[in-house]
Amino acid sequence: MRVDRSELFTLEHVSLVIDGRRILDDVDEHLHDGVATAIAGPSGSGKSTLLRLLNRLAEPTGGRVLFRGTDVRDLDVRQLRRRAVLVPQRPTALTDDVPSEVRVGAPHLTDTEVRSLLVRVALDPADFLDRVPSSLSGGELQRLCLARALAVGPEALLLDEPTSALDPRSADAVDAVIRSLVGSGLAVVLVSHDVLRAGRVADDVRVLHDGRVTARGPAAGLDLEHELMSPPADGHVHDVTDPRRHGTSHLPHDHEPVPSTDLDPTPEQP
Amino acid sequence: MTTIPSWAAVAVSGLLVLVAVAIASWQRLGISREIVVAALRALVQLLAVGAVLAWLFAHAGVAGALAWVLAMTFVAANESRRRGQGLPRAYTAALVGILVATASTLGVLVLGGVISTEPQVLIPIGGMVVSGSMQAASLTLSSLHRSALENRSAVEAALSLGLPAHQAFAREMRTAVRTALIPTVDSTRVVGLISLPGTMTGLIIAGVDPLQAIRYQIIVMYMLLAAWAVSALVTARMAQGAMFDDAQRLVPVAA
Repeated sequence: MRVDRSELFTLEHVSLVIDGRRILDDVDEHLHDGVATAIAGPSGSGKSTLLRLLNRLAEPTGGRVLFRGTDVRDLDVRQLRRRAVLVPQRPTALTDDVPSEVRVGAPHLTDTEVRSLLVRVALDPADFLDRVPSSLSGGELQRLCLARALAVGPEALLLDEPTSALDPRSADAVDAVIRSLVGSGLAVVLVSHDVLRAGRVADDVRVLHDGRVTARGPAAGLDLEHELMSPPADGHVHDVTDPRRHGTSHLPHDHEPVPSTDLDPTPEQP
Repeated sequence: MTTIPSWAAVAVSGLLVLVAVAIASWQRLGISREIVVAALRALVQLLAVGAVLAWLFAHAGVAGALAWVLAMTFVAANESRRRGQGLPRAYTAALVGILVATASTLGVLVLGGVISTEPQVLIPIGGMVVSGSMQAASLTLSSLHRSALENRSAVEAALSLGLPAHQAFAREMRTAVRTALIPTVDSTRVVGLISLPGTMTGLIIAGVDPLQAIRYQIIVMYMLLAAWAVSALVTARMAQGAMFDDAQRLVPVAA
């Protein structure tokens, strides 16, 4: 297969079956370098699992995953995880002080480097260097986790629900940091059940339902609420990646306006 | 030497079981039957053990005594495994931990000329080592099991920074070994103050001078400290090896 240089991750007919349950079903996707790609879908759609396939915290039962054109199984797994760092859903401190936290994956960082990493995630070193991680707010801890991830010098960040545990203001602050990182050339793949927030922070969106991609395209080109609430019929993908093929991407609403974008309580079955 | 109780004396002590049964039925605890069964079971078990030990002491020799200790190790590992249920290869981890702890501590004591190799010494001392090692292995496995369930997110966060499994899991390993050692360190610290331990009690009842009896107790205590530490460490290392796969992943662990 021809591999585009700008391609970060390629998923080739990836499936994952655990105990007879199909978590991912023939996912065939290209995730691009230098942009933020959101994988959005209701809980249980398989989106976190998909993210974990990218750094080999999980292994597909069918198909394969490529990182920059190389099968991830042919890469040294620790190298892969330093090139594409995954930040788990629940922000968790691993040490008892902020500088040690930043140095978990990069013990030899100088104090200056630690400070500049804190600046990159919008934590003022003057305020935060002496803080204990357990005293940080959820949003501050999440940004500290981002600094810890950046410390190992990754080419991409894999973020599992980076803002789901946060109040809207803290979430906005984290989203702003993610945007600035993408602006500085870092690729980001993020998973979210909040499709509108995902659409605001990401350039590209994949919508996942029951382990299948049901829509893909630029965030601006998809009617995300519609995609999440009314996935296309079985086997069909709403693809707006090529505007010439699809013309305008906006689909007429065939449902009442959705009051909330948090779809976890009532995921609609296709 | 003090007099050893006769069987008639043992029969009199059986009246104390009736006291327990009387309280249970008077208070309607609903466990009278269980008390009787437990008391009879204990009687049968001890009769059997007494007979087996008498035979072993007379005929087993060093090899037989060691075989007996080895058999106890397998039973102990099976018991420890239940504390680590859900962990992969918990039985192997406990077995190796208990075996290494027993072999090393008994080995030091025998080679150092501290204890003799007669079955009546090797078997009870070996039993104490195996039992202590088993408790250490059990506590270690149950702590690791809890960590694998509760700290998965933190461990995976560390693995996702490219850390090797042994670094990503270092905090959980330390916690497991420390947790396993706390009971024996505590009981060692207060020995003689809160409880008179078994070895010493037995010797004193048998008429040995207390100042001589404590020598045995000191040896047993120091032996148990080492056995617990070795067993906890080896069990933890073995379990960790089975908990991570070749791709530095924490394998699924059942609750």
